[in-house]
Amino acid sequence: MKAAAWICLLLPLASTILITLAGTRISRRVAGYVSTLTTMGSFAAAVVAFVQMVGESPEHRGHLTTSWTWLAAGPYHFGFTLLTDQLSMVMMLIVAGVGSLIVAYSVGYMDGEDEERRYFAYMSLFVFSMLLLVQSGNLLLLLAGWGMVGLSSYLLIGYHQDRPSAVAAAKKAFVMNAFGDATMALALFLLIQQSGRLDYAGVFAASPHGGTIANLIALGLLGGAVAKSAQIPLHTWLPDAMEGPTPVSALIHAATMVTAGVYLIVRTHPLFENAYVIEDLAAGLGAATLLMAGLIALVQTDIKRVIAYSTMSQIGYMFVGAGLGAYPNAMFHLMTHAFFKALLFLAAGLAIHAVVGEQDIRKLAGIGKLMPFTKVVFLIGSLALVGIFPFAGFFSKDSILAAALDRGWFGVTIFAIGQVGAFLTGLYAFRLFFIVFTGEPSAFAREHFHSHHGKEGPLSMVWTVGALAVLSCIGGFLQFAPFWHPLSTWLDPIERPLAEPATWQEWLASGIAITAGLAGIFVAWTIYAAKRVKAPRAVPLFERKFYWDELYDVLFYRSAEVLTRGLYAFVERPLIGGSISAVSGALGLGSRELSAAQNGLVRSYALALASGLAILTVVFLAAR
Amino acid sequence: MRGPDVQWYVVLSAILFSTGAIGVMLRRSPLIILLSVEIMLNSANLLLIAFSRLHGREDGQIFAISVMAVAASEVVVGLGLIVALGRRHVDLDVDKLRTLRG
Repeated sequence: MKAAAWICLLLPLASTILITLAGTRISRRVAGYVSTLTTMGSFAAAVVAFVQMVGESPEHRGHLTTSWTWLAAGPYHFGFTLLTDQLSMVMMLIVAGVGSLIVAYSVGYMDGEDEERRYFAYMSLFVFSMLLLVQSGNLLLLLAGWGMVGLSSYLLIGYHQDRPSAVAAAKKAFVMNAFGDATMALALFLLIQQSGRLDYAGVFAASPHGGTIANLIALGLLGGAVAKSAQIPLHTWLPDAMEGPTPVSALIHAATMVTAGVYLIVRTHPLFENAYVIEDLAAGLGAATLLMAGLIALVQTDIKRVIAYSTMSQIGYMFVGAGLGAYPNAMFHLMTHAFFKALLFLAAGLAIHAVVGEQDIRKLAGIGKLMPFTKVVFLIGSLALVGIFPFAGFFSKDSILAAALDRGWFGVTIFAIGQVGAFLTGLYAFRLFFIVFTGEPSAFAREHFHSHHGKEGPLSMVWTVGALAVLSCIGGFLQFAPFWHPLSTWLDPIERPLAEPATWQEWLASGIAITAGLAGIFVAWTIYAAKRVKAPRAVPLFERKFYWDELYDVLFYRSAEVLTRGLYAFVERPLIGGSISAVSGALGLGSRELSAAQNGLVRSYALALASGLAILTVVFLAAR
Repeated sequence: MRGPDVQWYVVLSAILFSTGAIGVMLRRSPLIILLSVEIMLNSANLLLIAFSRLHGREDGQIFAISVMAVAASEVVVGLGLIVALGRRHVDLDVDKLRTLRG
């Protein structure tokens, strides 16, 4: 068990080191295979650990292994500790499983790029960082993994380093994530001050119940979660992050890294339960994000950006679940979302790959006729996203909404927002589907489409997309809330949910959600497929993404610019520059005055000499 | 008694030095200024010799002789300049000789 956990963690790191050191001695394709095989090996190790864990009694499934004391400072000792328990097991399986599929897909997608080796080294580094994040046995190591996934995300968004927009997007993502890292670090300082420890059990035991300190700790952790998971107000980096290659968007910005915030809340839920205001805030932010992202997704024209906003929206649901205390439901949605969102991204990647990098849905229009397989898998992904029975999203999203019904008036409000979100999900998902995959192919699509030896893509891309499509179809049956719930039972020793909806609440939530989703699909069909209604004009508020970028521009960039201009005009120039020119002016004036004494009159020189001598004599005599 | 006390020499020397100094400061003719400088130098020589006698040592006298030698050569240069000025029909007035470019 412990050995399997270590192997699972270290294999991707070995791959990174190997690819980096081997450099040009291995071919680009070999680098891809090394990366794929090690990630798959990681997944195999996770499966082995899982099988071993199943054989244990539920109370004794948590395993701590410390390899060495990583950091010792005074009375504080933080080990390089791995925690393998039910929660990290779920995350390990998702990260390594979906990760290996996406890395395998990359072998085909990235074929022919100039710097594939660098790409695969980064990908392996990311998988390692993400596994470190979910397997860490204390909060310090978690923060290390947290920072490292931010780093690999930065490196991969900026992978096309010759494209200025990609570099800018990478920078933006890094700065926003660094903000979250900083608030998390502050929360950890508070925890050290309170308990002197950072291992989960010790921190949970020693953290205060209620009060300002508890609120601040939870707020700091929430700041990190919000930044990593692209929730309001730190969400603006995620749409820009679509500058990275499509598999990166699928792995990092849909399936795994952006859901780390949900994992953090679930992992440290006792801290959030001690600060229920902050936990409610998490749910509120999630609800606001899911609504806003759904509205923005309605008007985006870039296929990847639409999916990116839908990711934000779905993570909003997870935040609602985690914030309302429905932890297993949030984790379940995290899992199904990883399946169907990776599927959507990779299917979009097939289409983008086939037309040499075009992402505008108006140019891609009607490509479904040329790519029937992609059309089917994209449809599966969209249905799972909207939450139509029996696809994956149905089981997980509805159980979150049902849990909201169980949490008083606040929960009911969020339930209502979530249902509106479900309608919007149907609308934007099928707007995308109908525009891109139905109807006659556009002139651009016809002209630029090229099949890959008569197929829609290289084998490595097709089979991985197929696997994810199967998972999106059947993954939801893992847990069917009123009837069977193995995931909740599995996670129960780690976190006892605060909300356990009754059967009627499950039925009500599912009924309304599926109706709302279908209504959204129907509206999308009337407008974009049947064209019975003319498409309404885009609302500028949505097109400009609720002016968040402009707001931050005014708040931070412009205000800093005004401040520095003011400092320059009122401090730099008069005080610092002024003092220097005053000194030089005084010296110039003094020497000009003094030079008047040199007038050429011998007699005045003689007088000066004599009087100087006289003064000196008087002084010396007086001094005696 | 070997003549007056040393105080008298000091007083005389002071009078001579002041005369010379005042001459340098007040007179305008370079010739007179040169003479006044000579008077100041000789007042110093007088002191040197007076104290040399008082202490019974000869180094003061040696200094006086070397001062005379220097003064003589200085007069040679000074008078030479003055003669040169006179030959070029320049006013012999130091207040008018304010720049080196004649």
